[in-house]
Amino acid sequence: MKTPHPKNPTCTNPSRSIIRTRFAVRFLNAMKKLNKKTPPSRRYHTIRAAACASMASAVGPRRAWSRAILRKIRARTLRDYIINKSRNHRLITRRKSTGLLRGNPRDQEEVGFRQEDDLRGLVPGGEGMGFCRLLSETAHYIKCLRAQVQVMTNILDHYNST
Amino acid sequence: MEMARNDANVEPAKGSEDPVTFHEPNMSSDWHVHGNKITTTSIGLVTMCNSMAEPSACASAPMMDSFGPAIWDQSINGQNSGYCNINVQNVASTSSSLGAVKAGIGWTPNAMLSEGMFLPTVPGGVPQSLPHFPADSAFIERAARFSCFNGGNFSENVNHFPVPHPLNPHSQGLRPMRGPDEVLGGNGSKPLLGMQSQHHQMHMAEVSNEALIPGERRTEGSPFKNEKKSESFMPSHDEVKKRIDVSGNQCDEAEFSGGGAQEELDQESSGKGLDLKKRKRTEQKTENNEAPQPSNEIAAEIRQKGDQNPLSTSNPAGKHGKQVSQGSDPPKEEYIHIRARRGQATNSHSLAERVRREKISERMKFLQDLVPGCSKVTGKAVMLDEIINYVQSLQRQVEILQPRAGLSSSLVFPPDMTMPFPPLHPPQPGLIQGGLPGMGNSSETLQSTLARGGLENRPLNMCRHPVCGRTNFTTSFTVVSTPALLLMAKKHRLPFH
Repeated sequence: MKTPHPKNPTCTNPSRSIIRTRFAVRFLNAMKKLNKKTPPSRRYHTIRAAACASMASAVGPRRAWSRAILRKIRARTLRDYIINKSRNHRLITRRKSTGLLRGNPRDQEEVGFRQEDDLRGLVPGGEGMGFCRLLSETAHYIKCLRAQVQVMTNILDHYNST
Repeated sequence: MEMARNDANVEPAKGSEDPVTFHEPNMSSDWHVHGNKITTTSIGLVTMCNSMAEPSACASAPMMDSFGPAIWDQSINGQNSGYCNINVQNVASTSSSLGAVKAGIGWTPNAMLSEGMFLPTVPGGVPQSLPHFPADSAFIERAARFSCFNGGNFSENVNHFPVPHPLNPHSQGLRPMRGPDEVLGGNGSKPLLGMQSQHHQMHMAEVSNEALIPGERRTEGSPFKNEKKSESFMPSHDEVKKRIDVSGNQCDEAEFSGGGAQEELDQESSGKGLDLKKRKRTEQKTENNEAPQPSNEIAAEIRQKGDQNPLSTSNPAGKHGKQVSQGSDPPKEEYIHIRARRGQATNSHSLAERVRREKISERMKFLQDLVPGCSKVTGKAVMLDEIINYVQSLQRQVEILQPRAGLSSSLVFPPDMTMPFPPLHPPQPGLIQGGLPGMGNSSETLQSTLARGGLENRPLNMCRHPVCGRTNFTTSFTVVSTPALLLMAKKHRLPFH
């Protein structure tokens, strides 16, 4: 399902292009809305959040990491509400604990505590899942990140060239 | 059921024919209930029991006893399971009991196999359980078939339980009990095979419907016998799966008897599947694959009945069970008896561990394909490091690209030039705003700058320059720097490229 070359913008695999097109559409839409409203100082963060959100929504709630991102975004939007904030925080922390507990200690021994923790920190939502699940989520996350990079590169190339 | 198997193993040595001494009456009664044929089967069973009891050296007899009732009580409903139990108990334990056996017994295949100890079940229990004997017509059919075989196979199946027993499955179960090598090695697996085939046919009809298959892999017995290898769980799973797909074409299905019960043919019997596959083939060759078996379950059943190879059971069934139960319960303890691979611990925990490890290694392999440059790397630790690096670099790339792409897509070059250079340095709003006025020419500058292509390294430095009204310059930087920055970022941050 991967493109022949990670940097190759052209997608040869239709399955991957689906994600790409979905992400591209959402991202572009988000960009349109964004640039007109947000103040310059916050633009960077907004764009980043928009990209994250569009990626996550393109993937959908099928994956744990996308769900985690969507959760975070929703939590952020509700940040004003203390209750929601605390609730989400509690949920997230709870998941964290369960995930860590679920993690098989043997995995860590085999692999290395540091690595596993690093990976958990990298992949969104990686706190609350077992090691086995973490690996599959990482694989999907890598795939989507690559798609994201390709789409953005294409956009840049397109706009820069025109 | 394992006990039965063990017993079976024990008995076969004896030569089966011993008339069912103690169990017979019970069995027969039960059997009669179901049909005449059953009696024959019961006899077979009994003989098996007897034979098993005789050896007694293995303490099989006591085990049988204890095992019998236990199994029967369990009342494994699955026909498959029923067979297993039957074998064990030498009494046609009601199929229902079989089901129960599956659920509850947990024969500890490990125990059985390793120690050759049969769960001591009260033989007395057998009669009690007999009533539970499933009156399924299918069962009766099977019994009938077994009876057919009885004549011929008894003598031959020294090792196995009297083959004729309709409860071949149970002979199979017995086999595992014996121990992978003994039973299988010995007696003519052929007769068993023959029986199996027949049983298969019978079972096929019946089994298809049953989902209970106790997970005894006994069916594999004969093929296993031939192979005399310790089977692993996986293979059986694979086979089961195959059976399902194939819809029972070969004896293999029998092997999956246990697995069938699992019904989870989906289990990932990755590595172990190989073993099962081999067995399947051997089985197929030996047995004439009776009509395609509709379902694995059927196959499983048949196997159970036909194959008395104790060896077969374990793994495939175990795997199934495991997967079904999600590795929490060791297959051996459940109705599925899986034979551990040679040289591997048969502990339930280790089995679950094995499954987990295989899953993890499978995923690691997949990740290895994903991450470029990791094909040569071996070892989980290094691989994980590479993966982490790759994910970090991808994230950084996205970070760099995001603002640029966002900005360019909006077709409005950002008033704040900081955006394009987020990674380089903290945005300086003041600078950017100063540079805004030159937006109008941005497109032209962009093109020109792009054409040059020589500013790759400059943008990095340029942005740090205090903006002194170099609007165009900055814009061009931003535009040009994007690809340049990207390249640089990639170079710096993707060490493995």
